[in-house]
Amino acid sequence: MIIIGEKINGSIPSVAEAIANHDSDFIKHLAKIQTDSNASYIDCCASVEEIKEVETLHWLIDCIQEVSDLPVCVDSPSPQICVDALKFCKKEGIVNSVSMESNKTDIIFPAIADTGWGCIALLCGEKGIPNSAGKRMEIFEQIMIKAKEYGIAPSRLYIDPLVVALSTDQEALSTFTSCCREIKDAYPDIHITSGLSNISFGLPARKNINKAFMVLSMEAGMDSAIADPTNRDMVGIIYATEALLQNDEYCLDYIHAYRNGLIGKKPKKE
Amino acid sequence: MSKIQEVKSKVEQGRTKIIPGLVQEALDEGDKAEDILQVMIDAMSTVGDKFSAGEIFVPEMLVAAKAMSKGVDVLKPHLVSGDTSSLGTCIIGTVAGDLHDIGKNLVAMMIESAGFKVVDLGVDVPKEKFIEAVQQNDNVKIVACSGLLTTTMPAMKETVKALKESKLQGFKIMVGGAPVTPEFASEINADAYTPDAGSAAVEAKKLASA
Repeated sequence: MIIIGEKINGSIPSVAEAIANHDSDFIKHLAKIQTDSNASYIDCCASVEEIKEVETLHWLIDCIQEVSDLPVCVDSPSPQICVDALKFCKKEGIVNSVSMESNKTDIIFPAIADTGWGCIALLCGEKGIPNSAGKRMEIFEQIMIKAKEYGIAPSRLYIDPLVVALSTDQEALSTFTSCCREIKDAYPDIHITSGLSNISFGLPARKNINKAFMVLSMEAGMDSAIADPTNRDMVGIIYATEALLQNDEYCLDYIHAYRNGLIGKKPKKE
Repeated sequence: MSKIQEVKSKVEQGRTKIIPGLVQEALDEGDKAEDILQVMIDAMSTVGDKFSAGEIFVPEMLVAAKAMSKGVDVLKPHLVSGDTSSLGTCIIGTVAGDLHDIGKNLVAMMIESAGFKVVDLGVDVPKEKFIEAVQQNDNVKIVACSGLLTTTMPAMKETVKALKESKLQGFKIMVGGAPVTPEFASEINADAYTPDAGSAAVEAKKLASA
């Protein structure tokens, strides 16, 4: 499972405060704990006004790279800002994100065409998130045409079929998973990711819904998630699911995660 | 680290893919096949101890045994006797009326890794079949009976009784399984009780060399 650590995001109040105060220790700590928890990438989203966004991303990325060797997932609603921030990264990571909304693919895809950068692609368009799986798959096809145009291999794409709230849409999961299956059937090497916590919006004890969603979506082919790698409960569920889905021969990854203190009873503080 | 020591440590780690190559290299460097077999047996003994102590888990024991068996495949043509089971034969089975086999299979695997030839009679094995197996196999040193149900504990008792009354000699009887206790084992005249696969292999070796 490819976990894109979600903790460095300016829309989280404590992170916004750290950004406002230029508290680099706070950001470095978040980068460090996510690295120690075996994240694959560290998402980095400034969530500040556009005029300050590039410099803020620069500072955040520097903080991350000071304490972590993990590649960064550069996260901005503005495609141009994503592209501008790539040069701050020592390693090729993931761009978060494109969709068929406005001209996002035409700005980001050419910029990463001849690189090793990955890219998250959301299955939404000008009219927002389509209700049906069929409509989302139409957007998927459009994205794949664009990707092909710029020579971006499917293995570099992280498709997010998008999650709506279960509380308002009973078919939230089935829409998501039917997209997952169709996409994986057509492109076995492609990645499928999700921000997932939307699924539990409007419901109490949201963690239960999030965990159940994770398991069922992994079974449908989701192999990545934008999530908190320090959430031991969720990480435990992920390792268990990988083992149950036969992605973990002899359950050795599961056992190692336990032995390294990532899952199960929390090891005593030394 | 010498090649032969490397074989030992990689068997412990369950590195199934690299073991055949390592064993071949050890042979090429002039290590004797018997010595290489011995270090693999030692490695499995360490693995068994760690399992008994709760330091490693079932899959890690499985991969270690699989690594050893890959190594043994390479060794076989080089062993003087062609035989990898120097400690004798162990007959094993789950007693009549009981269909559980996971624990029994783990015990069989660890006893085999300790250097026994294992004859696995499977599950739901009537006492007559245990006796027949002792008669039909050479050099039987151990008969191991597994039972996982309180309702099949009487069948275990009957099996031990029948084996003892058969007048067949030269072997010891081991019992085990979730509901079995050391007290029950001694009450039904079994020679040994062990709580898990690792300690079963240790005990079997001890009994066979007594």
